[in-house]
Amino acid sequence: MFLTSWETRVKMLTVSRRGALGAALALLLLRGIALAQPGGEAHKHQEPIASGVQVGLDERLGAKIPLDLVFRDETGRSRRLDELITGPTIILPVYYGCTNACNYLQGGLARVLPAIRPVPGADYRVLSISFDETETPEQAARSRKMYLAAMKDGFPEAGWRFLTGDAAGIRRLTEAAGYRFQRRGADFMHPVASFVVAGDGMIVRYLYGTHFLAKDLTLALVEARQGRIGTTISKVVGYCFSFDPASRSYQFNLLRVSATVVILCCGAFLTFLIITGRSGKRRSTGEK
Amino acid sequence: MSLAEQTAAVAGGFWQDSAKTGLRSWIFSTDHKRIGLLYLYSVLGFFLVGVVLGLLLRLELMAPGATIVTAKTYNALFTVHGVVMIFLFIIPGIPASFGNLVMPIQIGARDVSFPRLNLFSWWLYATGALVVLASLFSGGGAPDTGWTFYVPFSARTGTNVSLAVFGVFILGFSSILTGINFVTTIHRLRAEGMSWGRLPLFVWSLYATAWVQILATPIIAITLVMVIAERTLGLGLFDPGRGGDPVMFQHLFWIYSHPAVYIMILPAMGVISEIIPVFSRKPIFGYKMIAVSSVAIAAAGSLVWGHHMYTSGMSDTAVMVFSFLTFIVAIPSAIKVFNWVSTLYKGSISLEAPMLFALSFILLFSIGGLSGLILGAAATDVHVHDTHFVVGHFHYVMFGGTGFAFFAAAHYWLPKFYGRRYREKPALLGWAIMFVGFNILYFTMQVLGMQGMPRRYYDYLPEFARLNLVATVGSWILAVGLVIVVLNLWRGLFRGEPFTGNPWGGATLEWSIATPPPTENFEEDPVVTHGPYDFKGAGVP
Repeated sequence: MFLTSWETRVKMLTVSRRGALGAALALLLLRGIALAQPGGEAHKHQEPIASGVQVGLDERLGAKIPLDLVFRDETGRSRRLDELITGPTIILPVYYGCTNACNYLQGGLARVLPAIRPVPGADYRVLSISFDETETPEQAARSRKMYLAAMKDGFPEAGWRFLTGDAAGIRRLTEAAGYRFQRRGADFMHPVASFVVAGDGMIVRYLYGTHFLAKDLTLALVEARQGRIGTTISKVVGYCFSFDPASRSYQFNLLRVSATVVILCCGAFLTFLIITGRSGKRRSTGEK
Repeated sequence: MSLAEQTAAVAGGFWQDSAKTGLRSWIFSTDHKRIGLLYLYSVLGFFLVGVVLGLLLRLELMAPGATIVTAKTYNALFTVHGVVMIFLFIIPGIPASFGNLVMPIQIGARDVSFPRLNLFSWWLYATGALVVLASLFSGGGAPDTGWTFYVPFSARTGTNVSLAVFGVFILGFSSILTGINFVTTIHRLRAEGMSWGRLPLFVWSLYATAWVQILATPIIAITLVMVIAERTLGLGLFDPGRGGDPVMFQHLFWIYSHPAVYIMILPAMGVISEIIPVFSRKPIFGYKMIAVSSVAIAAAGSLVWGHHMYTSGMSDTAVMVFSFLTFIVAIPSAIKVFNWVSTLYKGSISLEAPMLFALSFILLFSIGGLSGLILGAAATDVHVHDTHFVVGHFHYVMFGGTGFAFFAAAHYWLPKFYGRRYREKPALLGWAIMFVGFNILYFTMQVLGMQGMPRRYYDYLPEFARLNLVATVGSWILAVGLVIVVLNLWRGLFRGEPFTGNPWGGATLEWSIATPPPTENFEEDPVVTHGPYDFKGAGVP
């Protein structure tokens, strides 16, 4: 594959199978940015791709990530994942030294989180997890400070944690999620995607690209909460919208909703007829 | 003096008693009997149009190559034949015409629950029919997609599919409203003593049919709107290039259209269940099972649509499930057939015209039903899919079944409403010729299909020539029989001998009132004290 040096620097590569579209969109976006750089095309050269793990994303919906893994939080304290993942959780695989895609990813999320209805900390939590085992809690703390500051209106600190960990833990986590990345010197090639897990670590949805829609994010969290007591309205919303793999977005399920409405109306009609029974009043047709 | 006026002058009853006069007394009448006759004339008119188109199709296939029309015209012919026969004749055929005429009287009501809605349903039917007819002569010309309107062709063809589909959309609403009206009427307006266990089986079949109309028809309405949107707005709903799915159309279409087959056949079965005991002079065998089997057919028949799509790329699991469910539907159908035959056993059988049509229904429907199992079994379906076998099967069920039941009902009930009767001998002659022509035409089609002749082609290989000629000759014989039957009915009902009392010896309520029925049906509200096939209780000798 031919990539510009600039693209290589931001570590974008096409991802295989289901991750292809999201990553390809990100690639196009970054390619557009690259072409806008002065002399961007002039620096184009072939970058050899190392053998070994092929970068990509294999969706493993329904699989569980291991919650016994231990990561370090921003203060350097060791935390098991099951301490942090107690409900719907958005997990962002990133590395804090990333100069581009990871920033877009976290920035995109920071932009939309204040706009969604679920309450951070109570209804959901966000975890940025570095897949660079050399990164430190200090770097994580700097990222935290930056994104929490970007959100301005008091996003709770406990609502978005920034973790680092060792190579083995990172591998177990990313393999469980089907997330395949590759180190290239000090940088990485990796898919630009995040995923939402339920409280038991089950992966319920992958979200692609750096641009989050409030609707998609909310519905993914609603989906992650299923099995636990949710509000009636969120159950109804979850019933009326379903994930469309083609558009990678939640769409209003017209057929399901209209079929339900028709069946409910017919059921109510039949119930009414049965309850009221035979009419005592004999109808005269009057003037024909 | 028009024929209707002549009849009214002699017959009396609801024919005379109208505040309005002339055409207005018909097209603005809320009397269920007049609306029933409006439907009857309408559907019979479209039936004859469909017959002419069918004869033209057979004429084209009489010999290989272009015989009388081009390939494009042939495509339009079979499409319009299908649309007219399915949507304008056979779906409203028995339920809307004979259902309206007979059902309220059979349950002891003075009319349906919503008489104005009933009239509005007919107007919707007439409007939809006019729109469909307009589509033939405007825009890009008559649709050439087949009555199934399959995408992607229906989304791309330059013919006037949008208007035709819009017409069918309107017809769907007519069907839904009739369904709602009938369900409400059967629940609310039954006479005192008319318990569910005393409902005539024709009413039971209409009840099951009405629920299918209410539940399934909205789906075809939505689907047809999607086709129009696809054609006019290019939404890509069924275009895989834009994330759509053409197989989704087939699912949506058949989710309605297979249950629609039961909208067509269930009322026909109801007619047969009325005629067999009356002309056997014996109470029906297995009343409860026949009643329950109508509901069972409606329920199970709503789950089998996928058997139209075995070759469309469904998963093997889906194919097996749909195949299994299809075989399930055969059970309640067979229950009816066995109960009818059991009713005949040791009966005092009277072979008059209604009975002959009813008996031939049992035979022809059985052939159609059993050939349906060949299509319902996935392995054999792949062999005969989209061949003339399917066409033959479908006509055995729809024409041999519903068509013959329609004429059985016409011979059985129409004299009651006209006060005059047809001549028996021409009726028997017409029936016999129809029966012979029918089997020559459609059995040959099934053989052709087994040999591999595809459907919807205007041309074929030379080895199919002989049987195609035989089938075409069969179509002429069938047409001759039809002409005799229709002319005999027409002449008899307007100029025939008077028909009074209860000459058939029926025990249902319509035979207890004056002939023709008065506008309000009953002088006094009836109190039902016996079952619909309790001939002794009804005092019928």
